Amino acid sequence: MSGAEMGRLFLENAAIAAACTRSVSGTEDLLAALGQIVAVDSPVYCPAVTELEKAAATLFPVRAADYAAAAVTVEEVFGAVAETGTIVCVSAGGRAVQAGLLPAHHVAIVRRERVFGTLDDLFAAVAGAPPTNLTLITGPSRTADIELTLAIGVHGPERLDVILV
Amino acid sequence: MSNEQTSLAFRENTVRALEDAALRAAMKHAADTFGAKRADAFAPVSDLETLRDRASAIRDDVLANLPAYVDRFVASATRAGAVVHRADDAATAREIVRKILADRGARLIVKGKSMVSEEAGLNSHLEAAGMEVVETDLGEYIIQMEGETPSHIIVPAIHKNRRQVGRLFADRLGVPYSDDPQVLTKIARKALREKFLSADAGVSGANFAVADTGSLVLVTNEGNGRMVTTVPKLHVAILSIEKILPSLADLPAFLRLLPRSATGQTITSYVSVITGPRKAGDATGAKEMHIVLLDNGRTEILAGESRDILKCIRCGACMNVCPVYRMVGGHAYGWTYPGPMGLVLTTLLTGMAKSHPLVDASTLCGACVEVCPVRVPLTDLILGLRQRKVRERFSDPRERRGMEAFGKVAGSPALFTLGQRLAAAFWPLVRALGGKDVAGRMPAPAKTPLRRRLP
Repeated sequence: MSGAEMGRLFLENAAIAAACTRSVSGTEDLLAALGQIVAVDSPVYCPAVTELEKAAATLFPVRAADYAAAAVTVEEVFGAVAETGTIVCVSAGGRAVQAGLLPAHHVAIVRRERVFGTLDDLFAAVAGAPPTNLTLITGPSRTADIELTLAIGVHGPERLDVILV
Repeated sequence: MSNEQTSLAFRENTVRALEDAALRAAMKHAADTFGAKRADAFAPVSDLETLRDRASAIRDDVLANLPAYVDRFVASATRAGAVVHRADDAATAREIVRKILADRGARLIVKGKSMVSEEAGLNSHLEAAGMEVVETDLGEYIIQMEGETPSHIIVPAIHKNRRQVGRLFADRLGVPYSDDPQVLTKIARKALREKFLSADAGVSGANFAVADTGSLVLVTNEGNGRMVTTVPKLHVAILSIEKILPSLADLPAFLRLLPRSATGQTITSYVSVITGPRKAGDATGAKEMHIVLLDNGRTEILAGESRDILKCIRCGACMNVCPVYRMVGGHAYGWTYPGPMGLVLTTLLTGMAKSHPLVDASTLCGACVEVCPVRVPLTDLILGLRQRKVRERFSDPRERRGMEAFGKVAGSPALFTLGQRLAAAFWPLVRALGGKDVAGRMPAPAKTPLRRRLP
């Protein structure tokens, strides 16, 4: 599978899992997309560690110092899995995986070259020294505990946006 | 929450269950929904049988070398910074957990869904020690509020309908009545968020434990599993020893099978792989992590003829297709684990004396074997337990004497022929006296027995 195909498959499967998906071609496009997805005056948590995060952070004047108090988390994640439409968050580099859990809205930025084809490819890449936390996220938080009826946004985010750069 | 076993009253339990119209309706809806979702989820998987073979082979290997894998897991998890405790029985396990929590002054405990903690009677033990234990999985939250136990290993409140949940929330939480699952879910989100943020400790189970890396794997949908394992400063996980997988490379096969079998999803919303507590430079994870490995009779099961039940990965598919479970629901089985896998495990873990009526709770139709993702030979295991039940003299003495007598007669051609003649001779009398209830349900004896009609 080519990189472009993997990216397409990833977004397709993420959308099936009820994530909102976008594909952008560079930093400028990314900022435009973020502007449409996130209200600039909502308290945003953005770690501003990677280049893409630093660029994104300039958009949001109201930044939450702590993800627990934020309405939205905007972050670049470790990678993605095409097979399942999954984004992958890891605790490496001092990153808090709870940032993508506590706020009701999670915006995940994925670099195209960080899309793994299959779950096997992902686990082969991390098996040597797994981080404290490795979290696979596929779509928003959900439950079917009442009459097997789907309800979105239980304890985790009720909205997940995935932007492939 | 009661952990008292009522499996001996299985027949009485089923009668009560069958009279409960709301339960019957809930179970029918669940069975139909599960069946359709599972079929849809597996439809695009072209190499399903290969995948099941592979998962089954991995589980066989784990069981064949379980003590070595457990030791390897303990060493790896310890290296990753977790403290691992071994518990031979349920009482030891719940006391280990209580002591860890009490020694650190924990008062408010948030709990992720764990059937092993149910098996160990953990909640009532912690509550007796004065701790507040809050179940945070929505289904578990509902039944904890109602004072019930799970009736399904994946969907614990499957026996309740939305109106019952709506009334429960209105009564106990003081919220306006609603029977909309989305509204009810939001009510629970709000109530439980406060608990997550103020909890002293999180207690979870685990779906898998990885021997090579010492990682725990939690397969969840709601996000409460992520909360209890990463938000409080102390995380205690309780799991049984057979949950081990050799390496992370083995995990994908199970991630492809478990959610599809359990809820008909390609993958769950969340899969957490947790390797030890927070380390220097980490901004994530509990500061202290304890893992309690429960045996509770599993080493003994491993050495016996029913060992294959330990391959089970708790997807619940066998109960969803079981004609008995679908009629009576999970509570009738009288202990933690219901359905085909549950009746086998319950009999083995709690002993034949406490659970022998369960081994008859199967039609041996084999639907469970057809759906089991790791090829647990459930009908063979149930037949084996039925033989044990007779050997250990737990079967009805009248049935036993009847079968022994029939065995003698069938083993002797002279007696058997005599029996056939007597049956034919007395048939008009049986028909006259027994009426439709007896004679109407029995075929008339053949004029010429089959073995004389054969060439």
